[in-house]
Amino acid sequence: MNLILNFFKKMTLQHKLFYIILLLCFLASIVFVYNNYTFYERPIVKVIEVSLEDETEMEDGLENKDTLFTQHIIGEIKNGEEKGSLIHLENEYSSSKAYDYEFRVGNELFVTIDVDNKGDTELTGTILEVKRDKYLLIVAWIFIFILLIVGKKQGLYSIFSLVINALILSYALDLYLDKPDRSLLMICSIGIIFFTVISLLLVNGFNEKTYSAIIATLLGTFVSLAVAYLVIWLTAGEGLRYEELQFITRPYKTVFMAGLFIGSLGAVMDVAITMSSSIFSLFEKNNKISVKALVKSGLEIGRDIMGTMTNILFFAYISGSIPLLILYFKNASPFGFTLNMNLSLELARALAGGIGIVLTIPIGLYTTIFFISRKRARL
Amino acid sequence: MNALVLLAAILFILMALIGGKKGVRSFLALFFNFGVLMITVIFMNDPNLNPIYLTLIACVAISGINLFYINEVNSKTKTAFISTIITTVILLLFIIVITDKTMIQGFGEEEIEELGMFSLYIGVDFVKIAASVIIMSTIGAITDAAIAISSPMREIYFHNPNLSRKELFASGLSIGRDILGTSTNTLFFAFFGGYLALLIWFKDLHYSMGEIVNSKIFSSEMVTILIAGISVTLVIPITAWITAYFFVKKAN
Repeated sequence: MNLILNFFKKMTLQHKLFYIILLLCFLASIVFVYNNYTFYERPIVKVIEVSLEDETEMEDGLENKDTLFTQHIIGEIKNGEEKGSLIHLENEYSSSKAYDYEFRVGNELFVTIDVDNKGDTELTGTILEVKRDKYLLIVAWIFIFILLIVGKKQGLYSIFSLVINALILSYALDLYLDKPDRSLLMICSIGIIFFTVISLLLVNGFNEKTYSAIIATLLGTFVSLAVAYLVIWLTAGEGLRYEELQFITRPYKTVFMAGLFIGSLGAVMDVAITMSSSIFSLFEKNNKISVKALVKSGLEIGRDIMGTMTNILFFAYISGSIPLLILYFKNASPFGFTLNMNLSLELARALAGGIGIVLTIPIGLYTTIFFISRKRARL
Repeated sequence: MNALVLLAAILFILMALIGGKKGVRSFLALFFNFGVLMITVIFMNDPNLNPIYLTLIACVAISGINLFYINEVNSKTKTAFISTIITTVILLLFIIVITDKTMIQGFGEEEIEELGMFSLYIGVDFVKIAASVIIMSTIGAITDAAIAISSPMREIYFHNPNLSRKELFASGLSIGRDILGTSTNTLFFAFFGGYLALLIWFKDLHYSMGEIVNSKIFSSEMVTILIAGISVTLVIPITAWITAYFFVKKAN
């Protein structure tokens, strides 16, 4: 406790104010999300009693063994006209829970209440969805607190960056969806300029390193997009299976290209800023360093980061397909077909992103050297 | 010609041209990692094996490839490796609780139509699979942050061997803070790009705010993005501490 008090005393007034406001926001939002039932139109039920009614072992036609359970749930309705009354629900779930849930006391569910209870005393209903907002909020606060505690100011900027970029993306998509004759790639290109400028300024502040990184990022992204476009055009998209995108009623190839474009942007920015700040710091340590020496060290730095950077994108894209891969395999789909159906777009994204990362190394290097020689000429 | 093969060929040529031998190793590492991932998925098909343990083994193999194969075995990569594993274990414990509470496993009602021909009762625990998906999505970024912190820390210690453990830890933290912004950005945009189609679809369906927030697909995306941010942040103090602990102990 003393430690916390001391910590508190050391802070400036601004910091104290910031933490107090943050704490109030935290408490207010938690109180809100635990009591927000009336804000939902759909009836919400809190589970107060669960009993297992039935348990059957089953085997599908493919020798997959599973167990099916039937639960009888009694819950209390938390909002709407029937608020406070009890409702009886049936729930069936499997031990694999791929598309069903095992409910426990305390879970909150969205339901529809059956209307055909003619004079019955018992209300019955159907479960629609789980109420997840509470946990989502808690994870969000853990995210905010960890970033602030460890990252301090930089952590705060990362949070800003996430929020601002998400808002820009959402706005850009609204622009596209309002008038679908607008080109999605055009909107994304403009969006990318905003993303890059805002993120890099937040990460690195207003200085020449940032300007150089912004130019390198934009060049790197557009060049790698051109390469990806060219490859898909040359090969007529052979090997790319767009089935997993066909649920959208939009031109899915364009949506895929736009996603590819945005997805590699963060990694390209990371490479560009690493290149520009490290080369600038070499120049700052020694004003007379030759261009040749800068190129040599720059390539050395680039070599060090290219492997891990490409791996970041690779895992971020591919891992999401694991559940589908397992489902396909367990349903006796052939290996090649499964990979083709579920991984072709993810692999294309990862490879194109990798090309962007690697291309940004020389682009970032020479952009920075251009900025340095301009600075030298002025001296 | 297959578009993927052509993209891979271009990536290989660029990596070899710009990165030399290390570039070639980096490219091969992608293949090895793909292999590890596939083997893990195949083992996950066995309902008797716990996906969480399989994920841990896969993470050890992947960070081993990323650290020891692309770079080499030395004090920097060793401390980065230990830090990666510790971070992964801590995160897994947290993620298991979260996936259990949020019930984001398996497939959403929006996806299920496409999967109509499949049997969903396949005996594999999808709650644990969901946890392993989240950690696998970030393992690349965790390893990257760990080596990005431990490597300059060794340089600092090499130039100032009189630093105390606490001082070295502090400089590790400050290095970590400098890379925090870019590492989180890398992940955020990767996920934005990957989820773009789903985002467009959500907007087309005109879901209300309440429906979006509580839907399985949106929640699982948000949870993945947030935990990714938590992961690359949490690895900073862990790596700084482990590296300081090992380096300064060595000198004494």
